[in-house]
Amino acid sequence: MFDPIMEQILAIARDAWAFLAGLLIVVALLGGLYYVLQGTAGAAFGGSRMTSMAIIGAVGLVILVLFAFLFLPQIGEMLKNFQPNPPF
Amino acid sequence: MSASIILEFLRQGWLALAGAFLAFALLAGMAQILRISSAGVAGANLWVWQSVSALVSILVLSLFAFLGIPQIVQALQHSLPGAAGCGPISVLGQYASDLIGGLVAVRMLKATFISVLSASIGGTSTFSQALIECGEAIFGMLIAAAAIPLAAWFLGTC
Repeated sequence: MFDPIMEQILAIARDAWAFLAGLLIVVALLGGLYYVLQGTAGAAFGGSRMTSMAIIGAVGLVILVLFAFLFLPQIGEMLKNFQPNPPF
Repeated sequence: MSASIILEFLRQGWLALAGAFLAFALLAGMAQILRISSAGVAGANLWVWQSVSALVSILVLSLFAFLGIPQIVQALQHSLPGAAGCGPISVLGQYASDLIGGLVAVRMLKATFISVLSASIGGTSTFSQALIECGEAIFGMLIAAAAIPLAAWFLGTC
């Protein structure tokens, strides 16, 4: 009964997912570039704390992107398995 | 006959709403991760923690919607005295009990769906309203549990 509407909603949701994933990659790349710049600048004038923070930030960013692209789909699969039938 | 048509309509609605819930929960999670990464790069600590808590709340609400609501509805439906009296009133009571259960289930899932949408954009007032609606649905079902035997008694029992 609601299948045509659901197909439309799911198509929009898929587009939105692809858009968000692309945006996340762009933001992560820009953030990575920023951290590389920060680390390089820190190393150039002897700011060891600045360099360390830049390395930690870059690693955190990588972990975050991996979390988004590996963990979220797994959560989705888990929730799909939990999707309940009507309890009435 | 008409009750079964309405129940089938509600069942289809439940399935559609559950599918849309799943899609929107995943999108909300992705949006929160995007927010975390951009806030982390910009150095906005508060924003990062807000996003982390929103992500956790989306997960908890999804688990509540998919695991908690069916159990609550089944427990409440068992508490409804569906076949009070005899004859037509018994049949009507059974139909009423089924319809109330279906309506409450769809309403609670809708309220949780709104909660997830609200949590994904950080709207606290909508979030509380949705949870109040959930409580209202449970309370209404409890009142119906008392009303059906009273109606049976008023209309005449065997």
